[in-house]
Amino acid sequence: MTLQDLILKLSSFWASHGCLLQQPLDLEVGAGTSHPETLFRVLGPKPWSVAYVQPSRRPDDGRFGQNPNRLFKHHQYQVILKPSPDEVQQMYLDSLEACGINPRQHDIRFEEDNWESPTLGAWGIGWQVLLDGLEITQFTYFQQVGGIDLAPISCEITYGLERIAMFLQRVDNVFDLEWGGGVTYGEVRLQEEIDQSKYAFGQVDMPNEQFAALHRELFDKNFAFAETLLASGLIWPALEYCLKCSHLFNILDSSGSIGVTERTAYILRVRQLAVKIARAYVEATTPPVSAAV
Amino acid sequence: MDRELLIEVGCEEIPAGWLPDLTAQFGQQLDARLKEFRLTSSGPVETFSTPRRLTARVTRLAERQTDLEDLVTGPPVSAAFTADGQPTPAAAGFARKYGVEVAALERSETSKGTYLTYRVRQRGKATVDVLADVTGALLRSLSFPKQMRWDAYLEDGKGDLVFARPIRWLVLLYGGRVVPFVIRRTEAAQGPTVQDIRSGANTYGHRFLTTSGRAGRAIKVKTFDDYESRLLENFVILNRAERQSKIRRELETHARRLGGRVSHSAHSSLLQEVPDLVEYPSVVAGHFPAEFLQLPQEVLTTTMIHHQHYFPVVDEEGHLKSAFLAVTNMQPEKPEIIARNSERVLTARLRDARFFWDEDRKAPLEARIARLSTILFHKKLGSYREKADRVAALSAWIAAEAFGRPEAAAPAERAGRLCKADLATDMVRELTELQGTMGGIYAREEGAPEEIWKAIYFHYLPIGVEADAPPTARQLGRAALTWAAVSLADKLDAVVGMFAAGERPTGSRDPLGLRRQAQGIVKILADLPELTGLDVRLTLGPLLMRAGNTFGGYADASGTIASFMSDRLAYLLEQRGFDVRNVRAVMHGRAENASPLDARRKLEALAQMSGSQALLGVATLLKRVKNITKGIAAPTSLSRAMLREPAEQQLLAELDARAPVIRSAATRGDYREAFTAIAALQPAVAKLFDDVLVMAEQEELRTARLGLVATLRDLILEIADISEIVTE
Repeated sequence: MTLQDLILKLSSFWASHGCLLQQPLDLEVGAGTSHPETLFRVLGPKPWSVAYVQPSRRPDDGRFGQNPNRLFKHHQYQVILKPSPDEVQQMYLDSLEACGINPRQHDIRFEEDNWESPTLGAWGIGWQVLLDGLEITQFTYFQQVGGIDLAPISCEITYGLERIAMFLQRVDNVFDLEWGGGVTYGEVRLQEEIDQSKYAFGQVDMPNEQFAALHRELFDKNFAFAETLLASGLIWPALEYCLKCSHLFNILDSSGSIGVTERTAYILRVRQLAVKIARAYVEATTPPVSAAV
Repeated sequence: MDRELLIEVGCEEIPAGWLPDLTAQFGQQLDARLKEFRLTSSGPVETFSTPRRLTARVTRLAERQTDLEDLVTGPPVSAAFTADGQPTPAAAGFARKYGVEVAALERSETSKGTYLTYRVRQRGKATVDVLADVTGALLRSLSFPKQMRWDAYLEDGKGDLVFARPIRWLVLLYGGRVVPFVIRRTEAAQGPTVQDIRSGANTYGHRFLTTSGRAGRAIKVKTFDDYESRLLENFVILNRAERQSKIRRELETHARRLGGRVSHSAHSSLLQEVPDLVEYPSVVAGHFPAEFLQLPQEVLTTTMIHHQHYFPVVDEEGHLKSAFLAVTNMQPEKPEIIARNSERVLTARLRDARFFWDEDRKAPLEARIARLSTILFHKKLGSYREKADRVAALSAWIAAEAFGRPEAAAPAERAGRLCKADLATDMVRELTELQGTMGGIYAREEGAPEEIWKAIYFHYLPIGVEADAPPTARQLGRAALTWAAVSLADKLDAVVGMFAAGERPTGSRDPLGLRRQAQGIVKILADLPELTGLDVRLTLGPLLMRAGNTFGGYADASGTIASFMSDRLAYLLEQRGFDVRNVRAVMHGRAENASPLDARRKLEALAQMSGSQALLGVATLLKRVKNITKGIAAPTSLSRAMLREPAEQQLLAELDARAPVIRSAATRGDYREAFTAIAALQPAVAKLFDDVLVMAEQEELRTARLGLVATLRDLILEIADISEIVTE
């Protein structure tokens, strides 16, 4: 099964289970969780089920295209089910079966792995799903997002698309994967990986200090503007600028541009902003409680 | 008639690490709730668990609650009636509460006077009618390392029911019949896909395996025996010990087939964990390319054990083979499929590890130290870069000053500086369990001498407090001294630093593991001669003070750290089987003056003398002496002229003769001799108390006699407060 067939399978599976098919967030993010279709929709009481692919950037995981398993950018298939159905684990296993993974021939396990995003003020309880020892999915019951207790609880299923495709295609190097129509993953993405890794690790024709200074400045400007947007009541754009800060912080971190105490301070700033944005979203979307008569 | 109670809480996969404790809690709490609800059982509560269920069974549980009879106390009679004998509002109110006339109340005598009382008699209800309340209380009483909200609540008015993972079904059978119970779902969540959980007689077998019908379908059960055997038919081995022995058996068989055996170091911890990861274990064997055997053994085993839960296989000499054993939760039709996939996962990880191994060795450890500034040790104590400087200086000081071995200072300083450098290597960032170990290996690869690389390699140890906890003198070889200096320095820096930063452990909260670090310190000090060949009886005070100097002279003014440390020392000594009373005896005095090695030697001497009636005699008399000399300091010189009685003369002579012996023995650390000399004082001390009244009428005489016994007291207390060894 090609990578794109896998995406199609998962999409049709989850669409048939009541999910809206959304599109990726058109911004640099580290995970599908940052997408407002997750970050915002899990807040408040309104039921919401959605699925989408999210290209996810992890500057620190960049390996210049030389590592067969690690990527600056990988693809997640993200499913949000709110409220989380009682049968959610079985639904998930059915989705694997739909992709051609027969659970009776493999060893599929749910092993404890809780998830936390310090910059988003979010955490959840869950598992990593292991398929014959290979981690293919992160399965999380969100408990808090933006520092807000969630009710009802949403379930987030995050499939690692490259991992699963490599498993299905019995390929040991991600760049050998067939993306679709005989075209390999390497043909599509190798050069991008090399360039992005160089960037992430600061291998740019610019002195290190200048590289760091530029990114700090970008961070500060985006941060200030996110606050302005928030103050203007523009919650979606505010989140986008907050996410830009989060990515810039990741670059500062991977390029070794910040010290350790500074690092915690950056995380805290992004988190405080994310919390404010989440609160604003809840306030804006919760229907006012009608006064008791 | 007594009937069987069967409870099964069907759950989504509970973390393996929680199951042993959670299963025990489940049994204890059920037992406690049954008692609370006055339900008597013959025989204990039996518990079972798999990742997807917590099960309890009571073979014979009474059909009714025992009747309740309780005497409730009301107002005192003195306040119950007005002058004309009419009930006061207090009395009337009390009677009304129980729905009776005041005249029907009883009077009871108490130590505080006579009170109006009411005898509550409540006939026990049928067990089936209270089991729902028992179940609710049971579910609420469990505690979890991390609890989860899952849109559930109970109808007991206490709101949300948090749990380990969502509950999916509930078997609740008494005498084979379902006891109605319901876990409600919140309004926000409830709908076609989110439903209340109602108790029933249905359990569920293995997710994927079955002998007949569809895997994962509901299985109706009636009794525990029925339940257990139906589960087994459906590929769930309920009994953990049986799962474990199946794993053990299959591991052995497969290892033998591979021409090796399963490594024992892996056995203990991994074999404890895997039974809680599976409902129906079976073992699959796999191989990895032999070229990876060139990686350090530590890297291979850590990758297999910690990351994949695979058992490494070793040959007869204990060398790793290029094979592994995976415990699956299946009875695979084609084990080769799982084996091949597992091989690919492991090979990918090993390929990564080899990449790190090759990359990391391109730059010397020294070059990593600068990178440590990006890794936080503690927000108030700075980065590991700063910690490296502190540990280097402290290691050098310990070697030169505390150990008195200036020639070891330079290698200790070097090892101290490098000991955290591996935190900035790719290998340790990926395999954090290898911190220290990896630094040692890299230092060795760079050609660092044994004194240095082994000091780094072992510096996180010891973990255990037992005398033979690793590392051993043999493992340490020529690195013993530098290792001891660096290991002590690292731990002292952590303990003193964290206390200075206000991170003191409280109760069961010790997130930074300071107790273990402190135990490491006292363990090294207590076993210093065996570990390093160095016979130095170091006290805690100077070490703590020197470590404190680096935190802006953080002073342990209130002695908090010292007493924290001496608690850990007492723990170590008790763990080693020394008598608790003896431990108290040798742990007397100021905590900062405690020397772990001295304490250990004194205890060994006391243990050897445990039969000595003479020593026990002195101990008993010391207790008396301590009582009568409370607050009295020993005089700088005795009023010998006043002490003319033969008994006094004799004790004086004994003290004059024995004191130098005791002190010299103590200086040499020969506590057997010291205690023997103390025991030898027994006749003279006994005679004094028999023949002479210490608390004499005449003040001058009394002062002289008290001075004599206070001198005796202080002499003994220089060694130990042996009054503690007296059996009450």
